[in-house]
Amino acid sequence: MIANILDGIVLGLQFGLLAAGLTLVYGLGGVLNLAYGQMAVVSAMVVVFAMDAGVPAFPAVLLGLVAGGLFGLLLDLTILRPVYRLHGEARVLLSLLLTLGVAFIVDGFLNWRYPLKALNLFIGGGAVEILGVPMRRGSLLASAITLVTFAALFVFFRFTILGRAVRSVIEDEEGARLVGIDPHRMLRLILVLSGVLAALVAITRSMVIPVDVQAGFGITVFALIVAVVGGLGSVPGALLAGIILGIVSSIAASSIGTFMSLVILLTAAGVTILIRPSGLLGVKE
Amino acid sequence: MLEVSALAAGYQGSDVIRDVAFHIDPGEAVMIIGSNGAGKTTLFRAVVGLLAPSAGEVGFEGEDITGMPAQRVVRLGISFVPAERHLFPRMTVQDNLSLGAYPKRPDPETMAVVMDLFPRLEERRSQTAGTMSGGEQQMLAVGRALMSNPSLLVLDEPTTGLAPKLAAEAYEALGVLRKRGLTVLVAEQQVPLAMAFSDRGYVLENGRITTEGTSAELARDPEVRRAYLGVT
Repeated sequence: MIANILDGIVLGLQFGLLAAGLTLVYGLGGVLNLAYGQMAVVSAMVVVFAMDAGVPAFPAVLLGLVAGGLFGLLLDLTILRPVYRLHGEARVLLSLLLTLGVAFIVDGFLNWRYPLKALNLFIGGGAVEILGVPMRRGSLLASAITLVTFAALFVFFRFTILGRAVRSVIEDEEGARLVGIDPHRMLRLILVLSGVLAALVAITRSMVIPVDVQAGFGITVFALIVAVVGGLGSVPGALLAGIILGIVSSIAASSIGTFMSLVILLTAAGVTILIRPSGLLGVKE
Repeated sequence: MLEVSALAAGYQGSDVIRDVAFHIDPGEAVMIIGSNGAGKTTLFRAVVGLLAPSAGEVGFEGEDITGMPAQRVVRLGISFVPAERHLFPRMTVQDNLSLGAYPKRPDPETMAVVMDLFPRLEERRSQTAGTMSGGEQQMLAVGRALMSNPSLLVLDEPTTGLAPKLAAEAYEALGVLRKRGLTVLVAEQQVPLAMAFSDRGYVLENGRITTEGTSAELARDPEVRRAYLGVT
């Protein structure tokens, strides 16, 4: 049981990180980015190609993070332009359609040109015992990176002027404009941040299992589920929902079977939404 | 200081206000009075850049600010306090005030002035804005607007939802700010309070300015007395 919970926490931190980038962009700008998983995969491929070209792992990973950020910036500068002219539900729908288009194009291209490429950043060495449970070094490193990332996000949003400015747009866009904050600029910043987070998802995940070119849509779907359960727009919600769903999924996988864990995960998500439509830590509209 | 001419603005292509012209000189307090739906809010939104005007011009200290977005207008020195306040409900009083100074760090001196003006905010410093009473939220909205050290403060119906005693207190606070040299533009339905406070005023009816004059002149105007002061 302890092993399941620990595995669940490791998985849950992954889920949380997955959802953070998606939930921020939605909360801030009403943009639902369905190319989120492809951001992660493209960044992973940049790391793969860099390493193939002889770049050492650490700088290659940094390149991957930069690539993720650039992907976000590119979305902001190109296909999201018409989206910004719309408001409310129309904005959500158009962003969903356009980013889904990008997702298909990127996914199709990668599957056609590089169907066998995968990012693999296995961490060597034996298992480390935690509470009597042997844990893989890769899982522990991935979890540590995720925790540090969440701590950094917390500090950014709570204690920096820029972070507070981003939150103010989530809370009241008109109020933010009245104190001199440009909502579009904040959204651009957060799209870049979300690209970096997506890249980090791919990188930390590849320390546990290979991230192949087909991984994109799976990442987006999980990110969506966790973001909705946590409350769209809430980063702490994403982390909390990630850990809860991670533990549920891990227990279900070991006691019933992997094939059922996704069903149970979706059921847990569905029940949460029925009880709390705004998500665990979301704000009621 | 502020020069508005032939201004027209509205929503979805139909103008709510048409051919509006008025001006404010430095140090003045000017009121716009009018009934519900006369277009006061639309006029203010067009002036401060929350709504793009369809015609006309807005000039501020010699600069053409017509159609300039609100986030840039505030940096020139016009702070707007909307009737719905638009605070950041899940942030503390302190954070709301700090953001008023964006992109700078909050100036401790300005913060002290605001706290001095509204001691309630000092007491509630770490409370979240959304949990405060309507009167306290109004104080916070004004306080946040002051944090950028504006030269012109624009208030849309600052007494909405306030009990008469609080409404009078709000105008007392505005009086203190005026003495410090702040120029004030206020839209109001509670005309007697605004009239006692302002130097001059304009009457807005169906999106047009119909009457203007000093507060004393408006107080003697039979039409204004009948429509806005409840004198028959």
